[in-house]
Amino acid sequence: MPNGRTNGRHSDGPPQVDVEAARKSMARMANIFAEIAQHAEVSTLERCPYKDARSRCTAKFACSNQHFTKNPVDPPACTARDGDLNYRSAWQI
Amino acid sequence: MPIVNEGLIREFEWVTRPGEQKHIGEALDKADELMQEIAYQLIIGKNLEVDRLTKDCLDNGYTANHILDNGLLNGMAIVGVKFRDNVIFVPEVLVAARAMKAGMAHIEPILSASGIEPIGTVIMGTVKGDLHDIGKNLCIMMLRGAGWTVHDLGVDTSPEEFADAVMEFDAQIVGMSALLTTTMPNMGRTISYFEDIGLRDEVRMMVGGAPVTREFADEMGADGYGENAVECVETASGLLELQKALA
Repeated sequence: MPNGRTNGRHSDGPPQVDVEAARKSMARMANIFAEIAQHAEVSTLERCPYKDARSRCTAKFACSNQHFTKNPVDPPACTARDGDLNYRSAWQI
Repeated sequence: MPIVNEGLIREFEWVTRPGEQKHIGEALDKADELMQEIAYQLIIGKNLEVDRLTKDCLDNGYTANHILDNGLLNGMAIVGVKFRDNVIFVPEVLVAARAMKAGMAHIEPILSASGIEPIGTVIMGTVKGDLHDIGKNLCIMMLRGAGWTVHDLGVDTSPEEFADAVMEFDAQIVGMSALLTTTMPNMGRTISYFEDIGLRDEVRMMVGGAPVTREFADEMGADGYGENAVECVETASGLLELQKALA
């Protein structure tokens, strides 16, 4: 921890809250998540939402697009091509 | 201070739009090394690190305002940019949101004690027989971001588990998700179970999921339907008002 007080640290006593600033922060948080959710609506039309940035499948259920490697510890790779809109049918196996 | 955290420097490079560089950059200027570390650990989804750092900072005199603004929200803002620009995808966002929740677990009680109470309490789960959780998880992320307390029952949730959670957490709203047409009827069965045990009037019940329609929601007796995560928050807010009016 750095020495000395900065403007982010309170003095003595219980934690202080600037209520008005906290309300603004909560609104900022809601905006960030709203933008994320709106983009998720669009992106899941083209890419399976369980497919991570390294094209691994994070689903906890069977999918016909999963490709398991010989190493059982490795998560399965996702073989679905982005842009395929019918990935949901692959989940119902 | 300038960004000195090497990981955060790399992450900030994903912020390329001039307006966002200025906005997020100015916010990061207020972040000291510890806040930068919280932001970085959140971005890479290290929930245990965010948990530990947030607690340590509060114990050492940092205010909840400061940690929320300069650590947690700065990190989440960069997550949002990376997601929009397809650098990361839904799984990485949800991992970062889990890290955000770990930090907020320490911040929320302090805000609450200052009069910034959660909007309400929601029980969320995917219904019995269904293991698909990403839509539900996005809804949970949105609800928490909007100031709700959410108890996540996970997947394959029985009617009894929903009811037990409502009673345990004194929730006003139940949110049920299903992705399969074969498991959709379990939403109706859960609503019937609530009627059978006399709990139906105590809570508002909302449903959602890819195959679920407003008509189906009405037929099964749900109080609300959300087509997506954004609508989920709007639906929950409307139902809470209704619940208060009926109380």
